[in-house]
Amino acid sequence: MGTSKKVITREEWEKRLSDVKIRKEDMNKLVMNFLVTEGYVEAAEKFRMESGTEPDIDLATITDRMAVKKAVQCGNVEDAIEKVNDLNPEILDTNPQLFFHLQQQRLIELIRNGKIEEALEFAQEELAPRGEENQSFLEELERTVSLLAFEDVSNCPVGELLDISQRLKTASEVNAAILTSQSHEKDPKLPSLLKMLVWAQNQLDEKVTYPRINDLSNATLEDPVHLQSHQQNSIQKERQWAVRLCYGPHQTNLLQPLAHLSLLSNFTQM
Amino acid sequence: MNSNNSNNGKNSSFDSLSQDFGLYFLELARIGSSKAPVEMDEDEEVVPNELNTINSSAGFLVVAPDKLSVKYTAVSLHGHDVGVVQANYPVPVKRLVYYFEIYVKDAGAKGQIAIGFTCEGFKMRRQPGWEVNSCGYHGDDGLLYRGQGKGEAFGPTYTTGDTVGGGINFASQEFFFTKNGAIVGTAIKEKEMNRCLFPTIAVHSQNEEVCVNFGQKKFAFDLKEYEAQERLKQQMTIEKIPLPPNISYGLVRAYLLHYGYEDTLNSFDLASKSTIPPICIAQENGFDDQDIMYALNQRKTVRQLIRNGEIDAAMNKLRDWYPQIVQDDKSAACFLLHCQKFVELIRVGALEEAVKHGRIELAKFLGLPEENLFDALVMDCVALLAYECPQESCFGYLLKESRRDVVADTINAMILSTNPKMKDVQGCLQSYLERLLRQLTACCLERRLANGGQGEAFQLHRLLN
Repeated sequence: MGTSKKVITREEWEKRLSDVKIRKEDMNKLVMNFLVTEGYVEAAEKFRMESGTEPDIDLATITDRMAVKKAVQCGNVEDAIEKVNDLNPEILDTNPQLFFHLQQQRLIELIRNGKIEEALEFAQEELAPRGEENQSFLEELERTVSLLAFEDVSNCPVGELLDISQRLKTASEVNAAILTSQSHEKDPKLPSLLKMLVWAQNQLDEKVTYPRINDLSNATLEDPVHLQSHQQNSIQKERQWAVRLCYGPHQTNLLQPLAHLSLLSNFTQM
Repeated sequence: MNSNNSNNGKNSSFDSLSQDFGLYFLELARIGSSKAPVEMDEDEEVVPNELNTINSSAGFLVVAPDKLSVKYTAVSLHGHDVGVVQANYPVPVKRLVYYFEIYVKDAGAKGQIAIGFTCEGFKMRRQPGWEVNSCGYHGDDGLLYRGQGKGEAFGPTYTTGDTVGGGINFASQEFFFTKNGAIVGTAIKEKEMNRCLFPTIAVHSQNEEVCVNFGQKKFAFDLKEYEAQERLKQQMTIEKIPLPPNISYGLVRAYLLHYGYEDTLNSFDLASKSTIPPICIAQENGFDDQDIMYALNQRKTVRQLIRNGEIDAAMNKLRDWYPQIVQDDKSAACFLLHCQKFVELIRVGALEEAVKHGRIELAKFLGLPEENLFDALVMDCVALLAYECPQESCFGYLLKESRRDVVADTINAMILSTNPKMKDVQGCLQSYLERLLRQLTACCLERRLANGGQGEAFQLHRLLN
């Protein structure tokens, strides 16, 4: 094939970046959406006060949702179920898989606390009927009940059910169901955008050489390897920009460096 | 003219910075204001909305005065007397999908109707699809013609009373056609067809009559759902991409730090520590908040004052804490603060005081050489005086709360720039989150360019609203 890729210099790319129009209000909305979906009520309240951004959901509902999530995370499944029904009885009615997982978690907690008889009774009365209706429920039920067969649960093949990660999984499921019932997206938008960035860069790599951001956590632009010769030019330009900053638009000589602009001190070493 | 001579070098450097920052934020503010130029929307293109009566095959057909329906008036004798009409504008390409529909009012003698796309300069007496660079779905035989003489089996025939649609999916680079709301088939759009294409309809037998809908009325086909499904397909591929752990938390935290939202930050930190499992961001992810933790409380205080419209109080704090920012009365920072003060006075109806303030502080900015952006702002501010209800005037945008944010963000950036550890100018102006969003937008735009300029590009505003 051998078509050489289009090359975009750092300078050109930075011009395009500065041409992009991003509104502050939109970034605030993105942050608020994150706080709300993650359930950080107080932070959302404070953010509303400090930035004037309106949350896209009633903050009061977040507290309720977080209470349910917390209850599951702490293993208080009965409490969680009660709270969910208080919030919206339709959630569990319309979500048999979620309800089954909650009941399963209850069973796990009973087993964890050594309440074997109660666990068996519960499994027979509440979970077995569900298992009859649904093959995958039955399999899950069997896995869970098999915990009882092992003396040393920490080493058994289904030991992961007792792990906190199982609680978190169930808690997440409940959280998502509540959000959906409130006609809210269950996931915050920000992670999707970050994934989109990774995807967009990978896609663009096939056709163009351009400065990438490889480390999302500090958003630094990295010159592609090809551009090393161009790097010298862009460094020159940065020096001029730095000088202009310090001494006004008409000066072009680099005079003594100013202490509080350490970017200059980088260049005096070159 | 700097009043302070001893630190001449330092002041002028700061002033340039202040000027650049001021201009930067003013430019940004223009996006949100009603005065923003229309072409800010990257994807703004003309959209077809009626039939083109200038180049249609006159003599064989008649287009109604509303330019939205056509009737074949001749008696067709051969294959070169087709009545063809194109839309007035070509298909807009900077979008996910383009679509339009026809309604067959009367299939006439032979029902030889077609819907499709043709290029500029198409032979207007031939059915779309009978010549190169065109494609057409024909009602009499249900075949799809793609410039190859012979049609290919495609969909059902259609006749009087049917609603037929034609569309282009730019993501999959396909044509698609619908009948009465359901897709009947798709066909690849070859690269050679990547020229200007016009939505086209054709009639060919006596008394055929067809109406066209370019989106002015509701479509029979659920276009929104189709678009949503397309976006979902792409979304599902993207969702599989892994991210470093807690990256979103880190970026949100850095955002709060950057803009000085201290109270939110404290609640946020508290909440993330008590999640199960607790989220620790700090150094391990490369977040070095040495730079942006700087002066957090002061930045928050000044921001709150500005957001409450208490400009004088804000300036007093700045005089105490960062005199270099407000020292030069002609600096952009001072300019923005004074303008905002003026606006606040107008807001509460203190017009006399506003005028006094304007004469003292704002008049000096008029007529300055490079400052035409400042000039425009002063003129707009002063214009507010003319209205009984300034909020409702075209300058009402100045009274929006978001304008206070522009000033607050500028001052925030100025304070950040006084940090001896601040590595680069950009660090004062843009949070990491913003940089990532810009990179995302630029990459999507470039990708679209590399793909022939067709398709949807990322636009944060569209995604969130």
